[in-house]
Amino acid sequence: MRLAFEEKGADYLLATRDEHGNVAPVLLKKGDEPGTLRVDVPYQMAMILTKVNKFVKEGKIAVVARRCDERAIAELVKRDLLDQSRLNLIGLACSAEQVKECRCTDPCPSVVDFGECAEPSGDDASVARLLDMSLSDRLGFWIAQFRKCNKCFGCTLNCPVCFCDECLLEDKTFTPEKGIPPGLAFHLIRAIHLADKCVECGECERSCPVDIPLLSLRKMVSQDMKELFDYVSGDSERRSPLLTTLEGDPMEDDANVC
Amino acid sequence: MIRIGVFICHCGHNIASAVDVEKVVEFAKTLPGVVHAGHNLYSCSQEGLSSIKKSIEENELNRVVVAACTPRTHEPLFRRACEQAGINKYLFEFVNIREHCSWIHSKEPEAATEKAKKLVAMGVAKAALLEPQEEGESKVIPRAVVIGAGISGLAATASLLGQGIETHLIEKSDRMGGLLKDVAIIGPEGTDSKSLIEAFMSDIRTSPKAHVHLNSRIKELKGFIGNFEVTIGNEAEDLKVEAGAIIVATGACELRPEGEYGLCEHPQVITQLELEKMLSKSELTAKNFVIINCAGSRQPGREYCSRICCNASLKNSLRILDLDPDASVTILHRDVMSCGTAAEALYMNASDKGVRFVRYSLEQPPQVRAEGDGLFVEVFDETLDEKIDLDADMVVLATPLVSPDDSVETSKLLKVPRDKYGFFLEAHVKLRPVEFATDGVFVCGSARWPVSARECIWQGQAAAAKASIPISEGKVRIEAITAEVNPDKCVACGNCVLACPYDAIEITDRDGIRAAEVNEAQCKGCGTCVAACHNDAIQQKGFSSRQLGAMIDALVRATTEGTQ
Amino acid sequence: MNEFNPNILAFCCNWCSYAGADLAGVNRLQMPPNVNVVRVMCSASVKPEYIFKAVSQGIDGVLVLGCHIGDCHYLTGNHRTAKRIPLAARLLGKVGIDPRRVRLDWVSAAEGEKFQQVVTEFVEDVKKLGPNPMKEVRF
Repeated sequence: MRLAFEEKGADYLLATRDEHGNVAPVLLKKGDEPGTLRVDVPYQMAMILTKVNKFVKEGKIAVVARRCDERAIAELVKRDLLDQSRLNLIGLACSAEQVKECRCTDPCPSVVDFGECAEPSGDDASVARLLDMSLSDRLGFWIAQFRKCNKCFGCTLNCPVCFCDECLLEDKTFTPEKGIPPGLAFHLIRAIHLADKCVECGECERSCPVDIPLLSLRKMVSQDMKELFDYVSGDSERRSPLLTTLEGDPMEDDANVC
Repeated sequence: MIRIGVFICHCGHNIASAVDVEKVVEFAKTLPGVVHAGHNLYSCSQEGLSSIKKSIEENELNRVVVAACTPRTHEPLFRRACEQAGINKYLFEFVNIREHCSWIHSKEPEAATEKAKKLVAMGVAKAALLEPQEEGESKVIPRAVVIGAGISGLAATASLLGQGIETHLIEKSDRMGGLLKDVAIIGPEGTDSKSLIEAFMSDIRTSPKAHVHLNSRIKELKGFIGNFEVTIGNEAEDLKVEAGAIIVATGACELRPEGEYGLCEHPQVITQLELEKMLSKSELTAKNFVIINCAGSRQPGREYCSRICCNASLKNSLRILDLDPDASVTILHRDVMSCGTAAEALYMNASDKGVRFVRYSLEQPPQVRAEGDGLFVEVFDETLDEKIDLDADMVVLATPLVSPDDSVETSKLLKVPRDKYGFFLEAHVKLRPVEFATDGVFVCGSARWPVSARECIWQGQAAAAKASIPISEGKVRIEAITAEVNPDKCVACGNCVLACPYDAIEITDRDGIRAAEVNEAQCKGCGTCVAACHNDAIQQKGFSSRQLGAMIDALVRATTEGTQ
Repeated sequence: MNEFNPNILAFCCNWCSYAGADLAGVNRLQMPPNVNVVRVMCSASVKPEYIFKAVSQGIDGVLVLGCHIGDCHYLTGNHRTAKRIPLAARLLGKVGIDPRRVRLDWVSAAEGEKFQQVVTEFVEDVKKLGPNPMKEVRF
């Protein structure tokens, strides 16, 4: 691992290591004692990177990134929230078990430094089951799930592409003032905010203390984005179709003369 | 503390005939923040406005809600009243219970009253969250564009030029003059139309500030009052012109109801405009004239009165008798509309000179038939109560003026409305004549509805006078509906920058804090950025998430808790 | 009294659809009294959040009306509306609320009759869907 660190010529390494038997993210400088680095536990490195980026203002950071981290980083770079030129990605392929758990359709990073790419997951049975339900059954299902929500904001705080400092959902404008559980709008608003940037990493679902199947909701929205606009989040080239004109391009300069 | 005053307007019978105004007043009194609720017969009248102003002072109101007609026409009036009473005009909220309620639910008074309550509840909820605003200013390009070189457009252009305003006149045909090109004399005074048109055209020809574009059309229009960009195109090229104001003078054309009354079947059946052409050459090709008025107007599908035809028929009958005192003229009419002193004199004169008037009804219109070389018109004379058969060697159809087909295009390009007959609709018939609801765009002449040449000139000059107001002021105030950023919330994700249709937002770095910043002069207040922002860091003045959210809450509350 | 009378929220842009609604009024075009109009400057300023808030709180249907594509007073504002609103409607479907409770349409300032038609149709459609199930849901 230290070799990769040297080869990539970075000043910092963002990775995960063993801490008292648990796995924790760590930011290492050149020459730091690495301890026992581990790559077996999924950690949202893009989210950690956003935090690190706030105090590490100079130098290159090498990041151990799985495919979903890589896509999340692409979304953040597109929004100028991260500087691509200061990043070096160390590709980490997820294990077959991890791919299965996330029902991941895109598990292989562009450069694989560690691990071996597993086969992408096929059809998502959970999503298919939900879409097979009648509307009223589906509503019943989600209401039962959302009733469990205790508004801990775990889904938001651990989301790699949730980048607002102050969340709209903490405000009472769109969700009831003293609502725990917070109601339907809370979850719908979060879903639509993520529509053009969710990389389906599944962190929201893993973070949820009451096991709301949030990844299924994310996957359904991503499917709509694909169907409606042929758009897949994590694409470093394309801007969000929700912000652009129907031609699909950001406003051209000549269209601004008025 | 929020102190809201609510004023419900009867608008005479317009609102009160469907909405129980007093019930709405009683309901308004129960709404949070409302300290006064009252009603006016006409809120927009002097009396109504002064009672609102008086109430603002007496009740120490700091928010005003008027439930009446549409903000698109009356908001400025009430805002001004608020200002005069000492409160910022942006603390006023308009609720539309006429166009959006009483007029469209006129047969359901109970439902209309309930809906009016809901709308008032929503308005009051928004009003409670309104904030005072300050307005910016934007410069006005000192140039005007007039579309259509008929008599209205010519009058407007000459008037603008007379005020020293550079003007582009756009005409789709190859000549100026419009319908009057084919008319020799216009009534009832008997003005020579050529010299009339020539007077305006020479003003235009001799002015260095006039630009006439013949065979040209408007291809594209962008921008707002003070800063329009008009693309004028002909077959050869497109020209972009920047202008501060636009006048629509696209006129009307004569209806040719082919096949009706034998038109296009018998060469001796002609329209009034064809008769005008004949008369302008002073050559009569017939002796017995039958003029059929209201041919194609005041009937199902085209109910309106075209206004100019009665006088034209009278004037032309007298012209015929002038040219050939032995000729005979019969006017078949449904009512002779010759209003005013001069036109009534024309009617009396025609009667004295032997013009015969026969009144027919909508149910039994005249029938034209050909027999041998001649024509016969069979008509049920309402006065005689019997059918008569008239020998005619020329039948003249006084058909109405109709909106030209391309007014659809004009309407789309300029985003201005038309009525169901295709004529343009001004912002308000009485309060804002010759103005469109879209600021900086004006209308005059028969594009609006059929009018005489004299009225065309009045309206053309009126439109020019209105258009010259922003141009001579040199600036217009920008309504305070622009977007503003809360830099504490903004995370500089750039969603708003990308979404803005005007490139009015950029990410700036101030002391290491990156945030979006709105260029107010460039911002047009559409709010597209607001919907793109995920944490309400950017908000539109007067349309904030909290304000609209409160309206939704009010609607929910009014429904669940009832409006009784 | 048993007849279901839907409670509908409509967002109309100031320049086209609000003016179209005004024109419907001027022409006295009659329509069902279930639709309550909120004026916004452009349909593109309608946050999907409003739709979710309204539907979550039991509003039976939401209409979003703007200028026709190409006629937007703000050039391309409504291009965003054209993408956001259908996505929001689909999302409602994903959690079990009929997406037909949201309708996006274009009404110009000259289309009073279209406004009448859209309102009448939408009220009929929502009546067929029945009351918003969220009315019965307490969190």
